[in-house]
Amino acid sequence: MSENTKKSSPAMILAAWVLVGVPLAWGVYNTLLNSMKLFQPPATSVPASSAPAK
Amino acid sequence: MALLSFLDRERSIAHPGYSRWLVPPAALAIHLAIGQAYAFSVFKIPLSQLIGVSKPASGDWKQTQIAWIFSCAIVMLGLSAATFGKWLEGAGPRKAMFVSAVCFALGFYISYFGVISHQLWLLYSGYGFVGGIGLGLGYISPVSTLIKWFPDRPGLATGMAIMGFGGGAMIGAPLSIKLMAFYKSAGGVGVGKTFLTMGTIYFIFMMFGVFTIRVPRDGWKPEGWTAPAKHNAMITTHNVEVNTAFGTPQFWLLWVVLCTNVTAGIGIIEQASPMIQEFFKGAIGPVAAGGFVGLLSLFNMGGRFFWSSVSDYIGRKPTYFIFFVLGATLYFLLPKTGADHLNSIALFVGIAVVLISMYGGGFATIPAYLRDMFGTHHVSAIHGRLLTAWSTAGVLGPVLVNYLREYELAHGADKSSAYQTVLHVMAGLLVVGFVANLLVRPVAEKYWMQDGSVATAGSGGH
Repeated sequence: MSENTKKSSPAMILAAWVLVGVPLAWGVYNTLLNSMKLFQPPATSVPASSAPAK
Repeated sequence: MALLSFLDRERSIAHPGYSRWLVPPAALAIHLAIGQAYAFSVFKIPLSQLIGVSKPASGDWKQTQIAWIFSCAIVMLGLSAATFGKWLEGAGPRKAMFVSAVCFALGFYISYFGVISHQLWLLYSGYGFVGGIGLGLGYISPVSTLIKWFPDRPGLATGMAIMGFGGGAMIGAPLSIKLMAFYKSAGGVGVGKTFLTMGTIYFIFMMFGVFTIRVPRDGWKPEGWTAPAKHNAMITTHNVEVNTAFGTPQFWLLWVVLCTNVTAGIGIIEQASPMIQEFFKGAIGPVAAGGFVGLLSLFNMGGRFFWSSVSDYIGRKPTYFIFFVLGATLYFLLPKTGADHLNSIALFVGIAVVLISMYGGGFATIPAYLRDMFGTHHVSAIHGRLLTAWSTAGVLGPVLVNYLREYELAHGADKSSAYQTVLHVMAGLLVVGFVANLLVRPVAEKYWMQDGSVATAGSGGH
């Protein structure tokens, strides 16, 4: 019986990592966008006199 | 059945030349999917408006009833990991991953029928019970395989997979929201079809893991790697059977280590949003607090990879010493960053993210610690039993935090100082964890397996 001794191709390894990496990166990106809200200044009420002209 | 024989351990033994770098993506496919469980809260409001659609109507489920679906799933995670761990060691990771995928998807499908027929018990038994079994099996299924493929870096290998569980919520939350928005109509919130779609997507994604996972051949070791000549007493070269391990002091000390570390972490996670708003009244609103929660999840995930990788270099015991010494100090200091003391948001956030990274790190480093103590033979099964510490902490943490806070408020404390007591108790818990970690010693010879097996890299279990 011949044994399969073929080395895994680098392209296959890369594809496997891309398959799990892309959804993970998408999730991290979404969370990063959400976490940016922490660094935004709190909404303050603008006095009528300094409100931009319409 | 001949078709299912593909799932057998013997059929998943890697051929010579199979790259071990294909194994972490296989593990990640499982953990990224089941990590969705931590995003279940996005379904709470839609499920409470199935009849009223735009707002809860008479006959709609209450959020407190819906919360039990997640609780049930987490309890089942711990129970199934503890119960089926030994079966997994014999059946192999591929079969366990397949059963996990079937259960997880089936949980969504049963829940779909629960939504369209408005039967809550179908969601408890679907997502909660059947899906929860999928969570437990999926969580532990790749652990021992990864450790066998990476005898030189077991912390890094298991950290990668367990990092995926943290990342799974980051994918699950926006995916669920987008699908519900897509399926939403004038007559429905779209949650039923979202369950069907997610069950299918996750099943296909997990199948990638099932088809890719391989166990190493007996005697396999990484190219150019030789086991360290210098013997480290804290890393065993023997194996301990799961039932025997259950009766050793080391198992229960590590149980306390995990339980205290997780309970303390939950103290932050549970109260993150209200705590930062109370500490910095006027400066931090609900939107910014939501951003803070997002930042915590990023560090929770990153900490899993970082700390477990660090543990490969400095050792498991010193890593947990860092968690407990640094953690207790930071929990003690955290209340001092509030508006009535140092008034530093940056310092508060900085401390909180370090603490949460160590919470994640505690989860990710424990499989390698178990390998060091008990060998590779039954490490998944032992890990499964140790996860009951997580289930315990999942109940203990929120109860402790909420009870202490309410007690303090009832006795005249203001909201900010009530948190101070909670955080100091968390620091105290970490001191308990420190003592447990200190007492961990190598497992006595009388507990070793007597079949002559030693923990070599490719020892493929039974």
